[in-house]
Amino acid sequence: MMRMLQLLNGPHDLGRGRGFWSGMVLLAAAFLAYPTIASSFSATNVAYYLLNIPMALGLSLLWGYGGVLSFGQVAFYGIAGYTYGIVAGNLQDFAWGTEAGVLAALLAAGLSAAAFGYFLFYGRVAAWIVPILTLVLALLLATFLGLTAGYQWRVGDIQLGGYNGMTGIPALQIGGLTFQDYAFFYLVVAIVAICYVALRIWVNAHRGQVLMAIREDVLRTELLGYDVRLEQLRVFVIASVLAGVSGLLYVQWGNYITPSAMGLQQAALPVIWVAVGGRDSLLAVAIATFLLNQLTYILSSGGNQSALVIVGALLVAVMMFAPEGIIAGLGRLHWLHWLRARRRAVPSGPASSGK
Amino acid sequence: MSGSERIPLSRREGGSKVLPELASILYQFGTNAAFLLLSALGLIVILGMMNIINLAHGEFMMLGAYVASFAVHRGIPFPLAVILAFFATGAFGIVLERLVIRRFYGRELGALVTTWGISLILAQGALLLFGPYMPPIPIPGGAVSEGVFSFSVYWLILIGISIVLVVALTLVYRATPFGLQARATMQNPSIARSLGIRTGRVYMLTFGLGAGLAGLSGALLAPATSIAPFMGQQFVAPAFITVVVGGGANVIAGAVGSSTFLSLIETPVSLTLGTFYGTMALLVMALLIIRVLPAGISSLGARLRPAVAR
Repeated sequence: MMRMLQLLNGPHDLGRGRGFWSGMVLLAAAFLAYPTIASSFSATNVAYYLLNIPMALGLSLLWGYGGVLSFGQVAFYGIAGYTYGIVAGNLQDFAWGTEAGVLAALLAAGLSAAAFGYFLFYGRVAAWIVPILTLVLALLLATFLGLTAGYQWRVGDIQLGGYNGMTGIPALQIGGLTFQDYAFFYLVVAIVAICYVALRIWVNAHRGQVLMAIREDVLRTELLGYDVRLEQLRVFVIASVLAGVSGLLYVQWGNYITPSAMGLQQAALPVIWVAVGGRDSLLAVAIATFLLNQLTYILSSGGNQSALVIVGALLVAVMMFAPEGIIAGLGRLHWLHWLRARRRAVPSGPASSGK
Repeated sequence: MSGSERIPLSRREGGSKVLPELASILYQFGTNAAFLLLSALGLIVILGMMNIINLAHGEFMMLGAYVASFAVHRGIPFPLAVILAFFATGAFGIVLERLVIRRFYGRELGALVTTWGISLILAQGALLLFGPYMPPIPIPGGAVSEGVFSFSVYWLILIGISIVLVVALTLVYRATPFGLQARATMQNPSIARSLGIRTGRVYMLTFGLGAGLAGLSGALLAPATSIAPFMGQQFVAPAFITVVVGGGANVIAGAVGSSTFLSLIETPVSLTLGTFYGTMALLVMALLIIRVLPAGISSLGARLRPAVAR
């Protein structure tokens, strides 16, 4: 337990120490208290801004920590969403139908990622091939599901629905509790918190160190005796299952899914959240995902056609002028000042000679 | 969406599913190979030279189609409009290279992400500026009939143009001072620089050439598709798969080898099962190829004759 806490407080993300964690606990408390002052409509909206965070965290792990970029995380998002819709929809008469749907969805996302990733990572392809082929996968899935209009395209009782998508997807039920409105909000907050804590422990633990070693130098890591292909495949599967978690939450939120959830524009969004936040900081990515989802939701619900131009320009500007990411850049600035102030106060601190 | 609009004429009109005669089969292979080659050529030129994947490639093709549509509807003949599209898109590419791309040399993933941002801006920007549709360009030339089959003259011309483009590119790389400098830069940039080659200029011109080729292809394929802001998306899957299978080790061998090979796979599948499954077969092929030849078909030549000066 102590070991876990040490890892949680480890150096491979922004923010350490008592002050930071008190702030995080306060933040969590604020989210938990939010439904007491908000309508169920705005709670559901906030849940929507949060529900993409697991996918973004997965991409941050893959790209920022592992140095492997994927443009097709939405493919696994969609696979999980559709699988849940099919399984839970067909098992509506059973009490455990939606739980079976969740299990099937996560398995489908993980297994498809493992199969696809096998060819990518065991071929030891150049770095640019992974994003290109994952993007093609997402596009072809979207195209395929767009073709599935009509009664002949159904699995059991559930129609895939072509471009109009799958509708009437049942909400998750555990015992007598259906996760809608406030319950859904709490579910999303809990899952986001669990994902963040678990990933932060993971990146500071041994596997995370190996992952970062691969990012820094593939050959050296290999010479230290690690199977780079296996490690990359493992993190790809983890990231894809996390994308599946977001896909699951998305179909809980709207009770529908369409092929455009896997289209080219949706595929760009996770990359934008992660790049703008700062790809090698889980916390920064989570914050950026929350804020940017809010931004695009507000922009596009106002009928504003320029939302894509704005986020596209934001992406180009960040890549050119702040490749570390905006939120992570701001965070590092702040913590550096804080560290310097501390060092000045305690000059005989232990081994304060960083590089 | 990918490829759904490029149903070759013979299938659209003939309805002849049963009689795959030699000419018809060759025509199908030819159109598929030409389509793949045209959609990937600009991309592979930039990749081979600069190790950069231009994700805005589809939008460069869209720009070419827009320029051609503008020009044709102002009375400029179509061949001239195509040439205009080449130079306009090429100039745009050069400007973009100077402003943005050159900051990302050596950071290939950064370049990928940035060009994706550019593609979003271009596609949505075209929608905002010009609306959802551009006036279409009528397909030049009619169709020739041969028994139950009919062949689109325009697609036959496109097959010819693809061959001409490959020959022209070979000449540019083999017989011009620019080609010599480009090959030197590709082999070893720092030695090329120390020999007085202005590698920055070579990169700039290469990016311009790649962008121009994308615009040219977009203009050439414009009559066969609807000209719309998001038309670039339909080229994404075929173009990128062709590039992945081809690899960047040798630009021309990669482009030609890959598009020929992939059309051999795609044609029978899409004839029997439909265009979508043809594209799906391309993805499966790409996965299998990279498992065996991670650097693509063009690395095959280098593997077979390792001793030849390269």
